Parts: sequence; C-alpha cells; structure tokens
Amino acid sequence: MSQLLEVNEATMRFGGLVALNAVSFSIGRGEVLAVIGPNGAGKSTLFNVVTGVYRPTSGHVRFDGIEITGHPSHQVVARGVGRTFQTSRLFSDLSVLDNVIIGMHTRTKTGVLGALFLPGASRREMAACVEKAELLLKASSGELFEQRHRPAGTLAQADRRRLEIARALASEPKLLLLDEPSVGMDEVETDALIADIRRLRTERPELSVILIEHDMRVVEAFPDHVMCVDYGSKIAEGDFATVKSDPRVQEAYLGKAAVHA
Amino acid sequence: MSTHTSAELPGLGQAAFVAVSIQLLSAAFLYLILKAEGGWQVIGLLALLGAGFYLIEKRPQIADVVTASFSRVPVVALITAVAVVLLFPFAVGNNTYVLHLLIVAQLYAVLALALNFQLGSANIPNFATGASYGIGAYVSALLAINFGLSFWLTLPAAAIAATLFGFLIGIPSMRTRDTYLALVTIAFGVVVQQLLNNFTWTGGPNGLVGIPAPSLFGHSFASPLVVFGWKLPSQANFYYLSALLVVVAIITAHRLHSSRIGLAWNALRADEIAARAQGINVAWFKVLAFAVDAFLAAFAGTIYAFYVSYISPDNFTFLVSVTIMTMVIVGGMDNIFGVIVGAFLLTILPEKLRAFSDYRLLFFGIVIIAFLMIRPQGLFPQRIRSYGESR
Amino acid sequence: MAELFVQQLVNWVTLGCIYALLAIGFSLIFGVLNVIHFSHGDVAMTSPFIALAAAQALAIAIGVSGPVWLTVATCIAVFAVGLIGVILDKVVIRRFRDAPAMMALVATVALGIVIRELIRHLYPQGSNPHAFPRLASGVALEIAGVQVGWFTLLVVSLTLVLVVLLFAFLRLTPLGLRIRAASEDRIVARMMGIRDTRVFRATFFVASAIGAIAGLLFASYAGVTRFDFGVMAGLLGFSAAVIGGLGSMPGAILGGLIIAGIEVLAQTFVPDGASYRLVFVFLLVIGVLLFRPEGLLGRPVMVKV
Repeated sequence: MSQLLEVNEATMRFGGLVALNAVSFSIGRGEVLAVIGPNGAGKSTLFNVVTGVYRPTSGHVRFDGIEITGHPSHQVVARGVGRTFQTSRLFSDLSVLDNVIIGMHTRTKTGVLGALFLPGASRREMAACVEKAELLLKASSGELFEQRHRPAGTLAQADRRRLEIARALASEPKLLLLDEPSVGMDEVETDALIADIRRLRTERPELSVILIEHDMRVVEAFPDHVMCVDYGSKIAEGDFATVKSDPRVQEAYLGKAAVHA
Repeated sequence: MSTHTSAELPGLGQAAFVAVSIQLLSAAFLYLILKAEGGWQVIGLLALLGAGFYLIEKRPQIADVVTASFSRVPVVALITAVAVVLLFPFAVGNNTYVLHLLIVAQLYAVLALALNFQLGSANIPNFATGASYGIGAYVSALLAINFGLSFWLTLPAAAIAATLFGFLIGIPSMRTRDTYLALVTIAFGVVVQQLLNNFTWTGGPNGLVGIPAPSLFGHSFASPLVVFGWKLPSQANFYYLSALLVVVAIITAHRLHSSRIGLAWNALRADEIAARAQGINVAWFKVLAFAVDAFLAAFAGTIYAFYVSYISPDNFTFLVSVTIMTMVIVGGMDNIFGVIVGAFLLTILPEKLRAFSDYRLLFFGIVIIAFLMIRPQGLFPQRIRSYGESR
Repeated sequence: MAELFVQQLVNWVTLGCIYALLAIGFSLIFGVLNVIHFSHGDVAMTSPFIALAAAQALAIAIGVSGPVWLTVATCIAVFAVGLIGVILDKVVIRRFRDAPAMMALVATVALGIVIRELIRHLYPQGSNPHAFPRLASGVALEIAGVQVGWFTLLVVSLTLVLVVLLFAFLRLTPLGLRIRAASEDRIVARMMGIRDTRVFRATFFVASAIGAIAGLLFASYAGVTRFDFGVMAGLLGFSAAVIGGLGSMPGAILGGLIIAGIEVLAQTFVPDGASYRLVFVFLLVIGVLLFRPEGLLGRPVMVKV
C-alpha cells in the first residue's frame, strides 16, 4: 500500500532565507511521526507547506495518492488533513461547542440558498453537528464537555489544547498534524496529553499523526518514527534511539562546542 | 449564566406576562419618543432608556429572565409582536410625519441588518452599503420610469444588479484587510456616488423624479389605506411594506446566523488562519458577505425610491454608509435585535434633536463618540449560541 | 501643447505637495498609534479659519495688518492646530488605540462631524465660504512661456523644507527616534522604557501642524475656504497615505504626487474630466490596492502562523 503522505524534496525560501531545504519524508496509514529540532529549524514551515498555507518554492507534496502541492488550505483540509497550532488558535469568542462544529465545516454542505430556503435541512444538519460535537467533547474529556457552552477563550491551557485537537478531529481527518501540543504544560498535563494521543490511536487505528515536539518525554512515548530537522534540512531519521544518538542531532541540540568538548 | 437550571425557568403564565408586557412597554416607549416634542421631553426619555440599560448592566438576571420568558412562550411573543406592528399605525393616526419616521427607520433597520452580515458576523468593514442601497434605488427607478416596469418586477432586478456590485466590491477583500479594505470600500462608494452625480441618464445631481407609486391588486400605494372603515394615510401602505421587508431581513439574518454559513463567518472574524485550517474557503465567504449585504440593501433602496418618488445622489453618500455602520456598532454587532434598535434610535434621535435646530449634527457627533467610549460593545452585545434543549 | 504641458506640470506639483503634506500626517499617526485618524483632514482645514480669525484679532487689537502680519497669523494658526491635535488625541483618539480598527474609524469620522460643526458655529457666518488670500503673489519665473508664480515656489520649497526637517527630526533627535521606534514596534518600544505619552503628544503636534500648513496652502491655492473642505481633504490625504503605504513617509509623498497627478491628468485630457476627477482618483486607489494590498512602499504584512 502506498504511503498516506509523501513529501518530496520540499524547499521553501523567503527572500534569501531558506526555511526548508529539500526535505523528503513520508508517513503511512496509522503511523506516528515525531518531528524534532531546535527552535527556528523549519518544523512549523513544514506543516504550513503540507497544509497549503505556503506554496513550496520547489518540491512536491502528495496526499492519499493525489498531488496537493500548493493547493489552497481549505481544499487540503477537505481531503483529510487536520491540524493544531503552536500557539493555540481557538475562536475565543465562540462557545466550545461552536468551535468543534466549525471543525466540521468540510463535512457539512448547506449553502446560502439552502440555509434560506430549506431551513429544516439546515436545522437538521446543525442538530447532527451538535450531537457529533458533544460526542467528540465527551470522548476528549468530561471536564471539557461540561464547559461546552462557555466561550473558548475562558478555558484553561490544557483544555484549550484538548479543544484544538477535538476541533481538528471534527473534520474526520486521515492525517492529524499537532504543532508542539505540550507547549506550556506541566508534567501532569504532559502525561495526560501522551495518554490522549495513545487513546486516539487505539480509537482510530487508521489515523496518522505527525507530531512536532520539544519535550523528549512525549517523543519517547512514540519512538518508532522520529525525524530531526535543523536549519531547514533533515539531518536524521529513524527510531528514537537511533536519532538521539546521531552526532549531528546532538550537535544541533547542544551546539558544536559541547559535543567536541 | 452557566448556573442556569430549569428550576429557575419562569412558569408559563409568568413568562407570557413578561413577554407581552415588555413588548407593549417598548411599543409605548417608541410611541412616546416619536410623539415627543421639545428637547426636554426627548432628553427625559433618553435618560429613562439610559437608566434601563444601567439597571440591566447592574442586574444581568433581568435580561436572563426576559430572554427565558421569550423562549418559553415563543408563539405568544410572536402574536404580540405581529399585533403591535399591525396596530401601530392606528395608534399614530393621521400623523404622517411619525409614519414617515417609522418607514425610514425600518428601511435603515434592513440596511443595518444587511451590513451586520459583514461587520457583525465576519468583522469585514464595508463603507459602500450606501452605494448598494443607491444602486438598488436607481436600478428600480430607471426600470420603472423608462420601461414602465412595475414595482414588483423591479424589486428582483434591483437586487440582482446590487448583488453583482456586491461581488465586485468583494473581490478586493480576498487580498486586502482592515484599514486598506475599508479604503477600497470607501473608494467604491465614492465612485458610485460620483457616477450617479455625473451621468446624464441618472439625472445627474438632480436625480430622478416621478417614480410611480406601486400598486397591489388594483390598490395604489399613493391612496389612503382603508381597513374596516378606518382610514389610514397613504404612508401606511409603505409602512406595512417596509415592515414586511424587516421581517424578511430578520428571517434571513436568523437563518444564516444559525446555519453553517453564520458559523463560518464568525470563525473568520475570530481568527482567519484558524478558519482556513478548518477548511473554510475564507475568500469565498468574505465575498459572500458582501453579496448578501448588497442584496438586502437593494431591497431597501427600491422601497425608498418608490416611497419618496424622487431620488438624488445626495441620498447615498459616504455619510449614509457611515450612519449605517454606526447603527450596527451602537446596537451591538452580531445581535439581530440590537442592530434593529440601533437603527431605530439613530434614525429617530437626529430628527428629534431638531429641537436643538442648528446644533443637532454637533450633538449627534458628540453622542456617538461618547457612546463608543462608554459602551464599545454596543447596547446589546453578541450572545453565545444556544442549541435547543442543551441550554 | 508644450505650454499646456508645463502649465499642468506646475498645477500637478503644487497640488501634489499639498496632498503629500496631508498624507504625511495620516501616515505618521497611523505608524505610531495604529489608528486611522479620519478627521485629520478636518483638523487640517481648521487652520485657514484660525489664521483669518488671528489676522482680524491682530488688526483690531493692535491695529496692524499687511503681509507680515498675515504671516504671523498663519504661524499662530499652525501652532494652534498642532495643539488641537494634541488635545484631540488626549480626549478622544488615544482611547481607541487598542479598540478594533473599525471603532476608531467610526469614532474619528464622528469627530470630523464635530470639528466641522464647531467651525460652522464658532466662526462668524461659518456656513458660508470665506475668501482666503494668496500667501504669495506675483510671477517668479517663466518656463516655456508659462508663468510660474511665487506661490508655487512657496508651496514646493515649503514642502521640501518640511520634509527635510521631518526626516532630520525623526532620524536625529532623541524624541524623533522614539517616534520611529514606537512606529516600528509599539510593544518593544514600551519595553525599552519609552514614555508613550510624550511620543503621542509629539506625533500629534507634528502631524497636525504639518496638516495645518497643508490646509493653509490649500485654502490659498483655492482662494477660498469652507467649513466642510476637510471631508475631501481627508479622503484624498488618507488615500494618498494608503496607496503610498501607511507608516511610510516616502510612500506618503509618492501617494500625494500620484493622486494629484491623476486629478490633473483627468482634468486636462478627459472631456468633462473635472467632474469625473474623483472617479478616476478612487478607481486608481482600488487598482493600486488590488495589486499592492500593502500600498506601493508599505511593508507587506507577514502573517505568522
């Protein structure tokens, strides 16, 4: 079976700055890929290239057997790519429930004329969305479900992250991109996050996950497929033990002097 | 609000009483302010209104009880509303000035609801609603004068023309934002107004005169309306027509707001990049907001043209667009009821400030600035959606 | 043909300088406060009225008049308008600094109404147009048979001097550097300990005073002033600042020259162009923003994801 996502020699330049330098990788169905690397190494750029926020200067992105290089974001999402953001980007003045329902945008289809002239169908669609969203929230955490009518902006940090993941799942993605989900979490919350991702994998064995992470405890929990990026280039790939012991990775993290000292 | 349980819900009788009396009180207040003469009466009524809002602000339970009552007995509330709207002209009697104010206020309510799709739901500035309003008025007037088309046929034609204009001014919104987009819409507004002012076939600065009154089933809107022996002045025809348009606008606004479209607009208001990541075609939804705005504005324009039977470019200036914008902000963005209240207040208030004759524009400007400083969220701020039983 | 060309060139430069001075104010204020001060045009157009009033006051109080005292009166007006700008900032505009952009826009549009109405009521017979004298008269030189007046030279040289002074102020003086720092990045500027209040006060004084000079030149160019001239002055100055790129001083000057250029071109070469000049100006504005959404010399806004 072919891979779910294949990125081939993707290069992204902003003026003179090379944010991504001929990066290639792939991920199969149901796999987890952890992407590590120092700050500013180009990890988030990678996500933006995959999700169509940026069109790569050169190189190709194939998803589910279809070339999606440079396709607009909303089309990429409709094909089955969900994502979260490094700094959480919830619709903070809308309710928790509405946030999840908006995540179903690509799975619903009422247009302006439909909303105006077939109000019954529109209402039924929304009712179905509410039901589905409540299930998703319940599955995510009971605490979050209890707060479903509150504005998303009032949630605590850990719940915000959960809501972002729930919102991304609402689009029924085949591939989920998580951009540093553990940022700003304490140890207990990070453990809960690891448990959340594990649970997600058992519930949805077909779902593939790409994880950008700084926290090595999270990476350690999903050690099968790890990739390290530095200065826009892929410098190592393999299981966590291999990548961790790669001298170039240590250099990238600790600095040249430290390694050679 | 989250502590709300069903035990606190008002009983049926109590709810019906609250819903009916609130509506009657509002109608009475509207009646009094319309009839008020002299500056002190107007100021007194405004002070009363201010006190009311202060009370609601201090004790939010009041607002909760009122909204709960309305949703408890929707049919009773609806019947009362319909009765109030239908019977209002009878209370006003032969005072054509008051009827005129009501018609203009209702048309502005439609315009404000139209702009609310953009400014309120999606936070897209549009200073060209006045232009869409003007295009609606001119297209229908020209069709009626030159081709003898009836009012009812010009209505859809004007709406289609304005919607095309809406798509046109929406295109730059795909690339420009905020202040830059505001300028683009201002520019479109000025261009339309200047063209109307200069073309000979639009009558230039003199505008178009002699737009024939519409008629329905042989009843001309220029003649008095006789209902069960009651004779209402001819303005009553247009009063009911514009009331009907307000109802259409409310239904449109409500249906879009509670559908996937309204949520998508809200999403791009809150965070455009996150909206894109949910699969929302941001560019399309922005253009759509412009089109819906222009569509509704054209209806208001058509009724206005046929009502006054004389239009000129001065009716559709940049300041008209700013006024509509102010109505939305003052009333409360993304709140259908608030926007209507804003439109009524800002239509009636400047007229009533005539007591201050020459100083009324000055007064108006100061009131708006003060309002934006004191209550930037508007009279009725947006509310979190609630879904049926899951309150 | 050559004569017509030179004549229009002279008109273009004169008008272009005036628009550029207006645009500089919009751009400066936007750069520092991130707020569109839509009533800046109205503030600017109060200056001819203040100058007229000051000239009359001088004539009555100490019985002096004539060109020298007119100059004194205009200086008083420029200073007074600078102060008006500072007061408006303190009382109104600063409060909308952190509000959504649309709030500030609507509030300053309302502020423009208030300013216009105040002129109308406070100035004797304020609703009527008032004649405004040429600040310089006579022919200075002749190019290709076209007489270039001292007034044109005054406008051009004044603009050049003001631009040079402004650049020197922004680049060399400590306060100017603070203004620039604040407009580059407000949060960083605040962290570096720049006292916002002084920066705002200075920005508004400079922007309004430059606007006042533009207002005086405009009234002098038109030979007349009216309480509602500020609307168009504001729209054109704002447009110039936006197509040049908000926050960019060279952009504001370029924008002013372009807007004036299209106006003069329309009047010269298009039949009935004078009545359609605003149509051409604003079509150009739309066109520029379609292809350069951040203005000609503005920095593109990179949205960080």
